[in-house]
Amino acid sequence: MFLKSDFKKLSDWLWEIPVSFRQDMKVPARVYASERVLEDAFRDRSLSQLVNIATLPGILNYSLAMPDLHEGYGFPIGGVATIDMKEGVISPGGVGYDINCGMRLLKSEYSEEEIRPHLEKLATEIQKEVPSGLGRGKQTKLSVDQIDKILEEGAQGLVGQGYGRIEDLENCESQGKLFQADVSCVSDHAKNRGRDQVGTLGSGNHFLEVQKVEEIFDSRTAETLGLFKNQVVVMIHTGSRGLGHQIATDYIRIMMRAMPKYGIKLVDRELAACPITSSEGQRYFSAMACGANYAWANRQMITCFVREAWKNILGEKASSLVALYDVAHNIAKVEKHNINGEKIEVVVHRKGATRAFPPDHAEIPVKYREVGQPVLIPGSMGTASYVLTGQKSGEASWYSSCHGAGRIMSRHAAMRAVSGQEVIKSLEFKGIIVKCCSSRGIAEEAPMAYKSIEDVVDIVHNAGLSKKVARLVPLAVIKGE
Amino acid sequence: MKEYKILEHKADLKIQVFGRTKEELFKNALSGMASALRAEPENEKAKAKRITIKSVDLPALLVDFLSEALYLIQVHKEIYSEVRFIEFSDNELTAELSGQKVERFGEDIKAVTYHDLDICENKKGIWKATILFDI
Repeated sequence: MFLKSDFKKLSDWLWEIPVSFRQDMKVPARVYASERVLEDAFRDRSLSQLVNIATLPGILNYSLAMPDLHEGYGFPIGGVATIDMKEGVISPGGVGYDINCGMRLLKSEYSEEEIRPHLEKLATEIQKEVPSGLGRGKQTKLSVDQIDKILEEGAQGLVGQGYGRIEDLENCESQGKLFQADVSCVSDHAKNRGRDQVGTLGSGNHFLEVQKVEEIFDSRTAETLGLFKNQVVVMIHTGSRGLGHQIATDYIRIMMRAMPKYGIKLVDRELAACPITSSEGQRYFSAMACGANYAWANRQMITCFVREAWKNILGEKASSLVALYDVAHNIAKVEKHNINGEKIEVVVHRKGATRAFPPDHAEIPVKYREVGQPVLIPGSMGTASYVLTGQKSGEASWYSSCHGAGRIMSRHAAMRAVSGQEVIKSLEFKGIIVKCCSSRGIAEEAPMAYKSIEDVVDIVHNAGLSKKVARLVPLAVIKGE
Repeated sequence: MKEYKILEHKADLKIQVFGRTKEELFKNALSGMASALRAEPENEKAKAKRITIKSVDLPALLVDFLSEALYLIQVHKEIYSEVRFIEFSDNELTAELSGQKVERFGEDIKAVTYHDLDICENKKGIWKATILFDI
């Protein structure tokens, strides 16, 4: 149990659990939160999990939680850990089961008024074109050789085969491919789970939305990103599907067995970790890179399906959808950060946290260098989503930001509180079209089951982790199951 | 005796499983996981699958057993209602799974986790396990 007295208030938006809190902590644990959001976190075990991260060998400066934190496996959702490459460990639990779960935003040249008459047909067509991957809709089964190519090449391989455009890659974290990928580190089980899921949304909180830009907070940055008021955009939220889940399962098992060899003892099996320099650590990193590449390829293929639906409804001559950006929120990356005055390479684990590089950073597209990396934050179903950009003041968070609203209610509690039909009705009342095969899936993701996205986004904005650019609201929600 | 019950959890699926023996506990855990997938079965039998699993201890054996079954369920689009254990110890098992082909699933399970995993035998000799699935 945590009390507010366990925390040192560093600012209105940043709280610290000192290293003296628990004997096994190597560094303090920090939370970006308002007073109210912090008190919300007392209700589950996310803060204990944040303290557990602070015990990992090689962790630098502090473990971190974003304001959308909630209880996860090993790491809390919203957890960030930066780890020394030579002395530290890598943990599959610091990335999560859905490797490179992330967001992609596509922008159109049309306003809401222009799309509104076609919206119902467009939503139906998108649902038809983008399968959930659970058995409904079109199915394609790739060979293991084709899967290997996707694991090695990510979105780049697909664009090379004609699925998309070069600018889809330019406007994507790591240009849609991690070069550390090595297919020999991925099990046949994982590859088999991935064979029929390229271009599928999945279930749970994954979704696709047709949205409009409702409000612009920073017109100069919005212009650089190509956003304008009332513009129609499309947001995609999905990850590496069964392939990524299997990689995580495989390596938690492998690392759990290998830990005694390295003298590593941890309080939670889900935190299983091995030295980054060990063969298990290196192999996990290469496998995780394959999972990340698969997820980028998945979002790339879905982009192609959405463009197809767009063309089918609006006609061949309609201007197409352009990728604004694609960013991961479950990933481990090798990055250079300033550690005690020295710029060194570290491994940053972000689990339910978004990279938010500042203006002038070498790893963001040239056209965005002036304003910083786009940060895409989805709200819960039917509520607003946000576009922000990374800021120099985010250095203290290893240039990380939040990833969403964060659940506050269980799926069962949500289903007891409201029916799928009631949720659909209330969304329709707001003029939002909902396409989902399962009304149960709709109830589980009801907006009341989540924290307010406004609260979460205001904290990262006020704390200087990223800056608000635009608020997007849904016109049509398309969910897998 | 109930085979399993669904417990409250904020983001994912938590089940409590019961069994008069460890074998029955494992079988009922598979039933609980399978029911959560909300499969729509076809009228066609699945070819029986034989699996062999070695793990570090009993909790890991349960997670590894369910993970392997989940893999077979998702890749072959099948659901298994019958389990026959050919060998069973605290860290090793061989089993044969049989059931039905499936047209589609209504829910996706990402993984079987160690989070809050607990296996114990009560005074009446009933085995009980709590398992959390990432969905």
